[in-house]
Formats: sequence, structure tokens, C-alpha cells
Amino acid sequence: MERATIRVNGIVQSVGFRPFVYRRAVAHGLHGTVRNLGDAGVRIEAEGQPDAIDAFLTDIKNNPPPLARITSITVDREHTSESMFETFEIVESQSGDSGGGSIPPDTAICENCLADLRDPESRYHNYWATSCVDCGPRFTVVESLPYDRHTTSMAAFPMCEECRSAYENPADRRYHAQTIACCNCGPQLRYGTVSDSQTTDPAVSEAGRDRFPDTLLETASGKEAIKKAAASLRDGKLVVVKGIGGAHITCSATDTDAITRLRNRTDRPEKPFAVMASNIETIQSFTDLSSTERDTLNSFRRPIVLIEATGSGLADRVAPDLHTVGVMLPYSGIHYRLFDRIEEPLVMTSANLPGQPMLRSNNSIVDGLDEVADGFLLHDRRIVTRCDDSVARIVDGERRLIRRSRGFAPTAISLPNNGEMSALAVGAELDVTAAILEKQECYYTQYVGDVDSLDTLAYLKNAIQRLLDVTGTEWPSVVVHDLHPAFNTTDYAKELVDSGTVARAVSVQHHHAHAASVLAEHDCHRALSLTLDGVGYGPDGTVWGGEVLDATRTGFERVGSLAPVPMPGGDKATTHPARLTAGILYAADPDRVEAILERHDVQFPGGDRERNVVIQQLESDVNTPQTSSAGRFLDAVAALLGVCTRRTYEGEPAMKLEAAAARGSPHSLSAPISSLNGRRVVNTPQLFTELVRLRSDGVSVPDIAATAQETLARGLADLAIEEAEIRNCETVSLSGGVAYNEHIASQIRDSVSNAGLSFITNRRVPPGDGGIAYGQLAVVAAQPSH
Amino acid sequence: LEHGAGGEATRKLVAETLASGFGDPEDAIVGLTGMDDGAVIPVGEENLVLTTDSHVIDPPFFPGGDIGRLAVSGTVNDLAVMGATDVRALTSAMVIEANYPVAKLERIADSMAATCEEANAAVVTGDTKVMGNGEIDGIVINTAGVGVAPHVTPDSAVEPNDVILLTDSIGEHGISLLAEREGIEFGSDLASDVKPLNDLLARALEVGGKNIKTMKDATRMGLAGALNEIAEKSGVGIEIREERVPVTSDVKGAGEMLGLDPFQIANEGVAVLAVAPKSAENVLDELREHPKGENAAAIGKGIDDHHGRVVLDTGIGSRYLREPASEPAPRIC
Ligand SMILES: [Fe+3]
Ligand SMILES: [Mg+2]
Ligand SMILES: [Zn+2]
Ligand SMILES: [Zn+2]
Repeated sequence: MERATIRVNGIVQSVGFRPFVYRRAVAHGLHGTVRNLGDAGVRIEAEGQPDAIDAFLTDIKNNPPPLARITSITVDREHTSESMFETFEIVESQSGDSGGGSIPPDTAICENCLADLRDPESRYHNYWATSCVDCGPRFTVVESLPYDRHTTSMAAFPMCEECRSAYENPADRRYHAQTIACCNCGPQLRYGTVSDSQTTDPAVSEAGRDRFPDTLLETASGKEAIKKAAASLRDGKLVVVKGIGGAHITCSATDTDAITRLRNRTDRPEKPFAVMASNIETIQSFTDLSSTERDTLNSFRRPIVLIEATGSGLADRVAPDLHTVGVMLPYSGIHYRLFDRIEEPLVMTSANLPGQPMLRSNNSIVDGLDEVADGFLLHDRRIVTRCDDSVARIVDGERRLIRRSRGFAPTAISLPNNGEMSALAVGAELDVTAAILEKQECYYTQYVGDVDSLDTLAYLKNAIQRLLDVTGTEWPSVVVHDLHPAFNTTDYAKELVDSGTVARAVSVQHHHAHAASVLAEHDCHRALSLTLDGVGYGPDGTVWGGEVLDATRTGFERVGSLAPVPMPGGDKATTHPARLTAGILYAADPDRVEAILERHDVQFPGGDRERNVVIQQLESDVNTPQTSSAGRFLDAVAALLGVCTRRTYEGEPAMKLEAAAARGSPHSLSAPISSLNGRRVVNTPQLFTELVRLRSDGVSVPDIAATAQETLARGLADLAIEEAEIRNCETVSLSGGVAYNEHIASQIRDSVSNAGLSFITNRRVPPGDGGIAYGQLAVVAAQPSH
Repeated sequence: LEHGAGGEATRKLVAETLASGFGDPEDAIVGLTGMDDGAVIPVGEENLVLTTDSHVIDPPFFPGGDIGRLAVSGTVNDLAVMGATDVRALTSAMVIEANYPVAKLERIADSMAATCEEANAAVVTGDTKVMGNGEIDGIVINTAGVGVAPHVTPDSAVEPNDVILLTDSIGEHGISLLAEREGIEFGSDLASDVKPLNDLLARALEVGGKNIKTMKDATRMGLAGALNEIAEKSGVGIEIREERVPVTSDVKGAGEMLGLDPFQIANEGVAVLAVAPKSAENVLDELREHPKGENAAAIGKGIDDHHGRVVLDTGIGSRYLREPASEPAPRIC
């Protein structure tokens, strides 16, 4: 007989791993135990015949439960004549050493549980919060490791007898499912309205539940709650729905009046809203789905997917002037229950106050949104950690993540790591997601957001602490931050050093981080790296964002870029894109700025007065930094064409330009290239002059938009290709927020492939600033080990 | 050049290069290394306050004032915000380019005299040097001042819950100068509000006494710079309610046009006070009684959080208020 001590790391807790081990052990006639460790790993002791142990190990390696992700298995085997065990048992969890893995992300309700919810014979019939070892909330309900019912917010719901016996029955699907619950013992729903709410009672009840506020009026529970919420939605009302990792403000996606009310009350005049539809068929009524899009929508992660809108199944105001719409399928029983009573798709926009993280306690939801929502559909399970919806887009046939959050966090992404370096990366300033490097794994926080707001900055600090908690990791020795001297994340990194929490801080240039993120994902040594985005602080103190870098993970040389142009008013030019139009025109010919702006009626939000001041500002060079940003170039074109003259959300001008371009076809222009300080630049002022000429010639807005994108993409790709050939490099990479632009991304890929070079871009982390933390870690991980 | 802007770079230059060789006299209450508005030296029972400043400005004549008024006000205010509202003496040293028009010199001298009278101060000694054409750009005026502070109000004395008062609306001086210098027309009447503040601050001290802990004139680095400096030196946080900070619509409009934040625009003649809560209302009322304090407002308070930093409550959330960078770098993507 042999005894094996097996240690499994990765995502092996809260995924039905112990019940699986139990079943396989029993099937092979083994005795022993399986337990969760405090660091997210699992330890198995198994006694039996050597070949039975072999078969058992093969099962673990080859057929683990669907949500499990094994990163390592270590086995110690010894001969023994004395047996220690008489049966095989799942034993209580244990605290243990550090750094073994993490708990899994929240996942959509599985088909079996959904079938139970639909089955009138099942005791889970119509119960919204049913879940099993394969599905349900994890990351957002766990307080600490090891994952067990008492370490989650489900601890507030003692199991009823029936649930207890299912939990203890090895033959049951919910055997050792920590989130097991039914309508008799689990979290409950409540619907209500409020007027002018200011709750005073504590957010959490004595039992540890998310208390329903006393300010909730005309309340209904259970089925009645669903009924009332659905009726309100059908009446065109705005209803807040608390879900898994946060809450949404919802309304009918076919009711223009309701959407207009939502826009007015939330001050989101143009922002595209996501839509949830009951099933794929409904989504197909207003889109044309590719199979990749369908698979992405259906995956257990259930992200929002940006899809080209074709049909007329949605109100126009859902995504004003865009050619795509963000769509998702239901992922919680609450959503399915609502769609039992509503046929049309629902707008679902995250329930947060401007500049603040999503609301998560019933108190804060009701107090914060009392003037926005007409009704509230709440439940009493506490959200321990909030987690926004993930967002993806299929670009050029491949999935690009725009926001990596629910369904992903805190799952690790592998990262080539030279040494035994552990590090924390805090990202940039907007769309921040932080990450921790531990051995070869990069653990990612949920999406945090724009940390210029102190509430969001506090959320970032909290998210990092939670990530340390759920991965059982200590504070690493290094913190990596952006080179920008005035980012809050830069200050935070320095604070961590000053307080002695980490030993040292390392800065990484923004576009080097973008470039390194692609290199690390593909484990590629070197690439001519196109990094195209809105803004990044350059080592020369100017604003970069349309860069061709000859980059490895350890360093880079800036070999090309867009021509720097003035950005009158600094950040103001980002929200008033016509300022960029004036800036580029000024760089092309200072004497013609006014005439061109006037002739093409380029609109400044501040009217002619602003236009005149901007021209004087350019002439006197007051608060006029230089930028080589690709995003800003696209903004300038959008304003020239009247496609967008005031930015109300991030990326708006460029997104609307892309939508316009999708209706046009490009004219053939060659991208002017010139030389500047020893590097090659796409002469954007000259290109812009050509676009102005097309406009004067009466070429349509969509055609000019398409021409601008295509010529820019060709110019940058040609620069990268030429340099790759001169410098003997075989790969060209693409990263930065502009990589979401389908037209630009596919044009660059075409050019690169036609030149016989290989093309790589981000697949696992967002090419936008959500991927910066991964790139920052990639840079420090590549430093020679000490 | 970056060092002249008055921000972190200047402080570093002064602290590491210029101040390090001197050291402070043993009995100085506030010395050079404190880098406050002026130095405080005890003489007998009294606190002697000493300060000096060289003034260069382009253009030397601007709407609302000129270099003469600026040179007197700057030094008078540096004394006053240390608690020495009673100016005992000023000195004036001018360095002038050879061909500088006499008529302009006379205007400057008249303006200095008038401002001295307003501040109840007198220039007791002076010096004039002439340099060759092109060796200097027009005129530089150095003024030094001596006063006595019955109660010293250094930058470092703010405590949590102290109320932060502001004596006037911000930004007029800097933005009007910029408009004048660069020839930018905003279509509004912008003028500098440069002025000596010792009369106003004397009234405040009469009412507030030792409950006025800190006073600072918000000059080159704007209100943001002044607040950050006192937060850092006091080791407290300062929380400011944006809506309470008086900004004229002309300044606001001009700032928006240029993409400049009025909080980061230079002032000459605006002071920040930190006052113990029990006296805050009285001091504010007293300030408002005075013509130079009509626009005074309580704009925030000291907090025991975010130490060394300034938190700006914008009404829809909070952010850190930073001091102006020498090279502002855009951050929105
Ligand atoms: Fe970026
Ligand atoms: Mg001063
Ligand atoms: Zn399930
Ligand atoms: Zn139950």
C-alpha cells in the first residue's frame, strides 16, 4: 500500500473541487482526506494501491471540475504498511502558508441550477439565489480564506434542514456548495419605492445581512417583488436592480422616453448604455452575431459584448450615434426571474454617483439614487466586494477585453517572471485595474475606475487589500507605477514606500507598459510596438500617445510617432475636441486656422469667443502642451467633421468617428512621413490639411472619417514595418485604447501581415489602460534577478 | 527657468542649494529653513519679523497696478501674514536698465509712495544701480521690510477643525496679467487686485488674537500652492469646499477659456487664515466689514486625515487639489 500527500494549487476552492476529489477517491477505492488550505490551495491524503493512486492523480490532472484551474500539483508518495484512515472524508478547512492561488470569479448561474429554478417540482423553483459548486457568486461574497460558508456573506443565512442534508450528501449536486440556499433559508428579495431617503439604521443587520432600509415604501417580497419590479419596468419606470457584485439602474431598452429620463436623471447625456436581453434570439433581433460574439456572450463569465447594431429592436437613444451596442445575457437568477415577466431587453447601466464607485449596500443604493430611480429591487445578501460588469469587443475576429472584471477577477494571468520577484502594479489614472505578481502568476483586481476621485482612490486601496486577502499573499516588496508625476497612483506608490509597506517603488513609462503587456502575453522578446492611445506622460515631459517603440520588456527606443501638435488648454482640449482641430491646423499653417475653422463651421462649446481665445492662446503659447497622441488626432477629425464637438464620456469623439467611418469608404491618400529629432513621424498636420481639402471638395463625412482612420493606420503601420526591417525585428505589436478601433486595428494587421512580419496584440488583458498594470509588472519581472 | 516658478522646484533649490549654507540663528522662531513668508527673530520681549523680496514683472504696468505697488504690497503682506501688521520700515533697492524712461520711473515711485501711505509704512533707506542696455530687462525692485509681531502666525500652525478663511476672490491678478502680457482678449474687464493687506489683517488679529493660528498670502503658486504648503508644514489635511471659494465670473470664464484652474493662478493681495473654530465667525465678520475683505469666505477646515494634502470637495465628489506643476502635463485620456 502507498500513502500520497498531494498539494494542489490554483483555483481549487469553491469550485466543487473537494466533492470531486471525494467522488474520484471513492471510485478508486482510496481512503484519506481532502481539505482546503488557508492560502486557497487544497491538500489531499490518499491511501491505497499504487495503480489506484496513479489513476486518481490522472483524474485530478485531466478532468477537474469546470471552474477549477490547476496551476501546480505536488505529490509525495511513500510505502506504508499501517493505514491511517478507514474512509475518505472531506475535512474542515485549515489555515496554511501563502501564495497558492485564488478563489474563482463570480460565474453565471449554470444550466442545471437554471433548470431547477424553472422546475415546478424542484424545491428551488423560482428561487433566484440558487447556486451550486459550479456556479454563483464567489469573489464578491468571500471575506477571507479559506473559502467556506462562514467566511462568506452567506454566513448570515443558516442552512435549513433540507439544504443541510443536500450539502452533506455526496450524491447531491450541491454537496459542499458553500453558497447553497433555498427560499426557506437563503437571501430574500424586496421591492419598494422611496421618496427622499436618508437612512439612519445600520447598513448590516445583526444577523449580518444587508438590511432593507426603513425608507423603502410600498414594499413587496419574493415573487411579488419580481412582479412589481417588472410591472414598473413595463410602465417605463426606472428601477434599480441589485445583482451579484453591484447594482444597475434599469429601464426598458425599447422605450425612448424612459431612456431619456434615465439620461437626464443620471446626467449621462450621450453615454452608451449596456443592454441585457433574455436570450440570444432577442439579441439577434437587433444585431448580427458572429459565432465568436455568441460564444463570448454565452460564456459563464457573461461579459457585456459590444456588437454592431443592425436591426431596429432598440430605441435610438440606447447608444447615440454609435454603430455598436453593448449587450449581455442574464447572469443572476434575479435577471432570469425578471425576464419571466418582461419580453423586451432592458437597459442596464451601473448604479453609481458621478465619479464614484458602484453602490453596493442597500442603504447607499437607496440614499444615493432616491432622486434617480422610481423603484428598487433589492436583496439582503451583502456584497463584500463590488465588481463591475466586464466589457469585451470582438475586433478583427478576436476577443479584446475593454474591461476585465466580473467573471474574470481575481483569476490570474500567467506572466513570465525572471526571478522570484513579487510586485504590485497600480496602473495609471483612468480605467485603473491593479495587479499583483507572485511567481509566474499575475493576479488582477476587478475594474476600479478613474482614481482622480478620492472615493475611487480609496476603492483602489481596498481592492488591492482584498486581492492580497483572497490570494493569501503578503505585501510584495516592489510597487510599480506610471511615470506621470501628478497621478494619484504615483503618490500612492510613494506612500507605500514611505510607510514601509513595500521596500521600493519603480516607475514605468506609460507606453512602455502598453508595449510590454503585449510582449509578456505572447512571451515575445522584442517587437516594433505601436502604442496608440489618448495620453501618456513621455520621458521628455510632452504628451505621448501615437508611438512607435522598438521595445523589449526591459527597455525601449522611440523610433517613430505622430508629429507633435499643440493642445491648447491642456486637458480642456480633450473635452473640447475642436481645440485639437485648431492645434493641428496651427501646426500646419498658423495663418489659415481661423479661415478653416470658420469655413467648416467647427463648433467650440464656448462659441466664437472660445475659438478666438484658442487662436490667441496658440499664438502666445499659453498652457499649450505638445502631444503626439493618436486619440487626440481622431478627436480633432471628429470635431472638424462635426461628428462630436463636446466630449461627455471617455472616448466619445473617436467612437463616434468610428461609427461615422463604418458608413463610408476611404479615399486613397498616402500618409505623409517626415523626420523629427532623428525619428520618423507621421505628419499629421499635413494629413489633416488633406482631410480639410476633401471636406472642401464636398466629400461625405463618413468617407472622410474612413479616410482619416485608414490613412493614419497605414502611416503608422508603414513606419513600424520599415523600422522593423531596418532593425531586423520580425514582429510588430499593437496596444493602447486605439486598438479597440476595428478599422484601424485590422488595417494595421493587414499591412503587417502583407509585409511578411508577425503581428501580435492583447488578448488577455485590455489593450487600454486596464492593461497597464500587467505591462508594468511585465517590465519589472523582466529585470535581471538580483 | 523651472526654478523661478515658485513651486516644488523652487523650494528644493532654496532648501538644498541656497539655504543649506546659512543655518538659522539659534534663537530664530521661524528661520530661513522654515521657508515661511518671513523670518521671526526675538528681540527682547518682541518678535521681530524680517522679509525681503525681489520683484520682476512683465508688463511692469498692468490694469489694476504696477511694479511699484506690487513691490510694496508684496513685502508688506509677507510681514503681515507673519503677524507683523505694523510695518516699522521698508527698504527699496532698484536695478534699472540704462535707457529706462524717466517718466516711467516717476510713475513707479509715485505708486510706491501711495501704496506705502495706504499701508501706513515708509521706505527708510534705498539704493539704485544702473546696468547697461540689455544687461537687465527694464527694472527690478527689491524691497525688504521689518515689523513686529505680537503673535506669530507661521505656516505650520494649522490644526484639525481650524476654519480656513480666504480674504478675497482669487485669480484676478494672475489672469489679468497673463491677458495683458499675451494680448489675449476675453471680452471682459480683468484687472489685478494687488494691494497691501496689513490693515485688513490687523483688524482680524484684533478680533481673533491667538485663535488665528496661521496666515499666508497666496501669491505665485495660487491658492492651491498656499494651501498645500500650510497643510504640509502643519502636518494636517485641509478640506476645501469648492463652491465656497469666491471666484469672479470673469476669472472663471477666462480660466475656462485657457484651460487654467483659478486655484492655481497667482494672486497678490489675497490671504488665507486658519482660525480656531470658536473665533472663526467673528473673524470672518470682521474681515467682511472691511472694504478689502468684502468677499471673504470660510472655505474649509483642517482635518486629521490626508495629512499634508488638500482635499477639494467639488460637490459631486472629492479630489486632491495639487499645487501647480512647472510644466503642466495633461492627464485625461
Ligand atoms: Fe494608455
Ligand atoms: Mg509671500
Ligand atoms: Zn449551478
Ligand atoms: Zn434551505
